Amino acid sequence: MRLLIVEDSPELHQQLRTGLTEAGFAVDGAMDGEEAFYLGETEPYDAVVLDLGLPRLDGLTVLRRWRAAERAMPVLILTARDSWTEKVEGLNAGADDYLAKPFAMAELVARLNALIRRSNGVAKTELVFGEVRLDTAARAVSRAGQAVRLTALEYGMLAYLALHAGRPISKTELTEHLYAQDFDRDSNTLEVIVARLRRKLGDSLIETVRGQGYRLIAAGSG
Amino acid sequence: MNSLTQRLTLLTTLWVAIGLGLIAWFVVRTDERQIQTAADARLGSLLDAVVAAVAFDPAVGPLLLRPLADPEFDRPLSGHYWQITGPGGSQATSRSLWDSRLVPPLRESEGVRARDVDGPRAERLRLLERDVQIEGRFGRILITAQVAVAREGTDEEIASLRRNVILAFALLGTGLVAVVALLVIWGLRPLRRTQQELVEVREGRRQHMDVAAPTEIAPLVAEIEALIEQNRATVDRARNHVGNLAHALKTPIAVLRNALQTGDVAGARAQSATLERLVQHHLRRARAGALAGTAGAESTPLAIAEALATALRRLTAARGIVIRVSGESEARIRADSQDLTEMLGNLMENACKYGNGQVAVRVEQAAPGRVVIEVADDGPGLPEGEDGVALLRGVRLDEAKPGSGLGLAIVSDLAALYDGYLTLETSPRLGGLAARLHLPGRLATETHRGPEPYRGPDWPGLSAPRR
Repeated sequence: MRLLIVEDSPELHQQLRTGLTEAGFAVDGAMDGEEAFYLGETEPYDAVVLDLGLPRLDGLTVLRRWRAAERAMPVLILTARDSWTEKVEGLNAGADDYLAKPFAMAELVARLNALIRRSNGVAKTELVFGEVRLDTAARAVSRAGQAVRLTALEYGMLAYLALHAGRPISKTELTEHLYAQDFDRDSNTLEVIVARLRRKLGDSLIETVRGQGYRLIAAGSG
Repeated sequence: MNSLTQRLTLLTTLWVAIGLGLIAWFVVRTDERQIQTAADARLGSLLDAVVAAVAFDPAVGPLLLRPLADPEFDRPLSGHYWQITGPGGSQATSRSLWDSRLVPPLRESEGVRARDVDGPRAERLRLLERDVQIEGRFGRILITAQVAVAREGTDEEIASLRRNVILAFALLGTGLVAVVALLVIWGLRPLRRTQQELVEVREGRRQHMDVAAPTEIAPLVAEIEALIEQNRATVDRARNHVGNLAHALKTPIAVLRNALQTGDVAGARAQSATLERLVQHHLRRARAGALAGTAGAESTPLAIAEALATALRRLTAARGIVIRVSGESEARIRADSQDLTEMLGNLMENACKYGNGQVAVRVEQAAPGRVVIEVADDGPGLPEGEDGVALLRGVRLDEAKPGSGLGLAIVSDLAALYDGYLTLETSPRLGGLAARLHLPGRLATETHRGPEPYRGPDWPGLSAPRR
């Protein structure tokens, strides 16, 4: 899952980057409103963490411009402004969630997971595919009741395929959602990750659709 | 043009110039006519004298039997002339005409004809002429008698009249404009004094305004006084809050420092949580204190509740809570809309948090001058045996734990600042808690419509829940 973090305070920006990367997200960052708008308009993010007080272009304007340009990715506003007037303004400008500083990283991660799930039309936190269970809130995967340890990239790919279960996902789309912008992208690594997932979770879970990419079999109850 | 003095003076000048100008024109014209009529009457009697003396001698033509009494007719080029014209152009004239003649007669109509002509000295003459039939030995003879007098006298009279009238009216107009300008300057003096005193208040040279203002300005001065007073109160409150905050922060900072020195991470974490809660609390208090009673604030509770409902539906999208907002759209509350948003936001968030998916907000006028907003949910409601009033009274802001009574305490605190209060009851409709916010307000349409019964989700005042 690929995130855009828009935060102008360098310390908090770094903390967010570290925290969210540790939580398994691919993270891009913007330090001002104009850069944020450009990135959000051109890159396919699964969610955005948006501060309101930004240099060059304030957060609400950035948000309104994205929505006007029909960019529909979920946006979580992360700000020190916590009055209800400001919350209403932010949410009614098109934000999907609102978190006031100071905040706990765990809560931010949980809310982002929920947002991403909801934006893909998935209501439950736990997705089941045969004997494989994926708990998106806890970021835990089990097979036949046994916990399976996955790397961040493995989990990211599994979660993305699971949220779009039944639809073939191209390698390009996977690359765009698994790697941050400045990451060295190599589509061959995707094949390696898929191979490792098949080894850990069973061969039949992910099928290769010739010329189209990979598909997670939607046999389970989602 | 942004000066009252200039504006009023200009308007007066314009009006006076047009009004007085028209009157002056009318007066001059009437008098001119009268002078002319009087002059024509004098000339008419001279013509009568000429006509009475006219005779006809076939040997010499027309002649006057008696000379006219006025010697001016005998003095050459005196400006007084007569001329009689008989058949075949035979003429007799006054001696004053000397070698020149008056214009030939017109003979175009009966009776006396009057016109202005040029005289022998190229002067303007007023001329009257009349045709006379004389019975002679050779039958009836037509003779035209003309009398002319120089206009100089009349014209001078008219010119002098015109001068006098214009001078009189100009003096009157200038006087009027001057009086208006003086009135404006004099009338605005209290405003200038007020401004001067305001400057002194701002610069701290005086505490209050002492202008003895006339009745028209007294309310303004009183309002400014009130504003200054309110400002002072706000500043005092702010100063108090800063003091309170500093004191409240000192202890946890001291404890935190000790915890850090002894390497007590858990203690440090607890103190940082305390610090955070204190900062939240004081931020809210500061906001409330700064806004409370801000002049002229009025807000529309139904619109605010609708906006909050839309926002809360987004925030609670995962739980799919149904929030219904209904009631009096014309209700207005005498409170800053940010504060009302804060109060309602806390109540509605609580209802979403503790309810089981149903929240109903209703705005009603409880009594003239009193608006009630009820936020009801279908949660567990008041704890068994708890009295809502006692519950609220028991909550103290700085002691409340976040997430429990804190929201309600903020609402109660804010409501009190606006001369309102919060009550907690059991909702008869939804079975959970009904928080009722009583605030001073009114209906925008003065006609009082009684509270309407709850009609279910199709009632137009309700907003459809969004998933």
